[in-house]
Amino acid sequence: MSDVLHLSWEYPPWAVGDLSRRLKGILPGLSSLCPLALVVRGDRDETLQMDGMSVYKAGIAVRASPNFIAFSQTLNVELARRGSDALHSEPGIALIHTHDWISSIAGVYLATNFKLPLIISVYSTEETRARPPLGVLNKGIHDLERYCFQRAQALIVETEEMKRHLGGQYRPPVGAEVCLTPEEIFGVYRRWLG
Amino acid sequence: MRVLMLSWEYPPHLVGGLGRHVENLSKHLASQGEDVVVMTFTDGSSPKRELVDGVRIIRVNPYCLRYPDFITWVQGLNMLMVEAASQAPDFDIIHAHDWLSAYAGIALKHMARKPLIATIHATEMGRRGSLHNDSERHIHEVEWWLGFEAWRIICCSRYMSREIASDLGCPPSKITIIPNGFDPSFRSDAGAEGQDPAPRAANGSGTFLFVGRLVHEKGPHLIVRAAGILKERGIRFDMVGEGAMKPFLEDMVKKSGLRENVRLLGHVSEMDLHRLYSSCFACVFPSLYEPFGIVALEAMSAGVPAIVSKTGGLDEIVEDGINGVEFTPGSAESLAKAILRLIDEPALYQKIVQNGKASLERYSWPMVAEQTRAIYSSVMDEYDRGRWKPSLQRRRSCR
Repeated sequence: MSDVLHLSWEYPPWAVGDLSRRLKGILPGLSSLCPLALVVRGDRDETLQMDGMSVYKAGIAVRASPNFIAFSQTLNVELARRGSDALHSEPGIALIHTHDWISSIAGVYLATNFKLPLIISVYSTEETRARPPLGVLNKGIHDLERYCFQRAQALIVETEEMKRHLGGQYRPPVGAEVCLTPEEIFGVYRRWLG
Repeated sequence: MRVLMLSWEYPPHLVGGLGRHVENLSKHLASQGEDVVVMTFTDGSSPKRELVDGVRIIRVNPYCLRYPDFITWVQGLNMLMVEAASQAPDFDIIHAHDWLSAYAGIALKHMARKPLIATIHATEMGRRGSLHNDSERHIHEVEWWLGFEAWRIICCSRYMSREIASDLGCPPSKITIIPNGFDPSFRSDAGAEGQDPAPRAANGSGTFLFVGRLVHEKGPHLIVRAAGILKERGIRFDMVGEGAMKPFLEDMVKKSGLRENVRLLGHVSEMDLHRLYSSCFACVFPSLYEPFGIVALEAMSAGVPAIVSKTGGLDEIVEDGINGVEFTPGSAESLAKAILRLIDEPALYQKIVQNGKASLERYSWPMVAEQTRAIYSSVMDEYDRGRWKPSLQRRRSCR
């Protein structure tokens, strides 16, 4: 039974960008410190064991979307759906951890409705990814990032620069913490897991 | 029973007929003893929480975020509804209206593990005739998703039931038809002003009234074309409503030399609308797509005949020559003939007015609420007998 529920839109073999590689570098080590469940996008709904974790794959019903925000909002309902499956079948889960804004909308859904703390790891933001001038799509993503980051009980980043950037651009109520290793991330978890 | 109703519009914020539908349904459910919470939109000009007619209303304001288009705006509204639901009173059943609240309905269904009921008022395929771009395809797929996730689907006509079954692939056994209700407080002031329809029928005076959005599916262009055919008879048309086709219609009226015959009035106040209903000779609703057709009931209530295209829900409300006149959908020539038939046959006119008022009895909101409660009860019976429930450990903390 898991203690922490992770949400991500990619994890190997599902790979879109760099995030899946980063998670592959962290989650197996972290799962040796505390039991983890992972909800990730997949070809279809499926539950399996992978890298020491319970993995809940979420199939996606809606394929057509006019833009990336529309796609991600739909994806997050599916992640919340499978996250609910995990939370109802593993009552020991006491913490939700999401990765970047793309899975954090579902994190906010689950954290507020199941009354659990939410941790968000931020690897990059729309400000750092997009080239100026920012279009209306970039501004929409920026606002969703702010919405999610402001609802997290802890924010984890990899660099001091990102920590300063978050504080300046998104003004979250909690300061970001730099954590590079599974042990450092587990240190954050222990505030809630005891 | 505790019902969480999800709707993107609710008074005072109204866009189409959906908001009034949800208001009347919620009000009558509450009056029959159900505990109804409506979660809906505000632009900041209405209270975030209020109690009206026994219905608790929770509003969220999506303008705290920026959006590239309407779909993402709707999704932002849904996102805030899901968050607000964590602060809302507990509920037994979720009732979502159209794709516009599907995202929140599906997310809440799975988190709370409570049954979801969907009312599908119209479909994207029906509105557009086909799917032309990713936005329309997205909406269509979300409608499919809502139909798939819903325990039971409610729609307002046999026509919509067939459309949902064929276009969204829903099993017919999952669909229940409950015709929309008609609010009896919507009355023309014809009686008060002593404007009995009989003299109008006798001399064929008065205008023909169209009420609806000026969009292709409502067929407003057919009225202008029919006005052209009937130009020599001097028949006049008043068109109430706004929409994307307005500049096109204005141009059409100008080019056809029909400025004396067709007036585009735009939005009018409720009082003016009642006045127009009560003073017109008849109403014309030439829809190409119409899931229900509440305007036909408004005409009947005002004591004027409705001339409707033989399509969708309109065809189920109106029986040709009995409580209205029907014509071939999309045909201005057929519409012109129907108009002349009504002018030339005063006896038919009187008969239709009398039968129209009697027809309204079939569309009562208390009856709609009773039928909706029966669906809630049968779904809750099935739910209670099933195994899909929140885990015992989560039941206290969830929501």
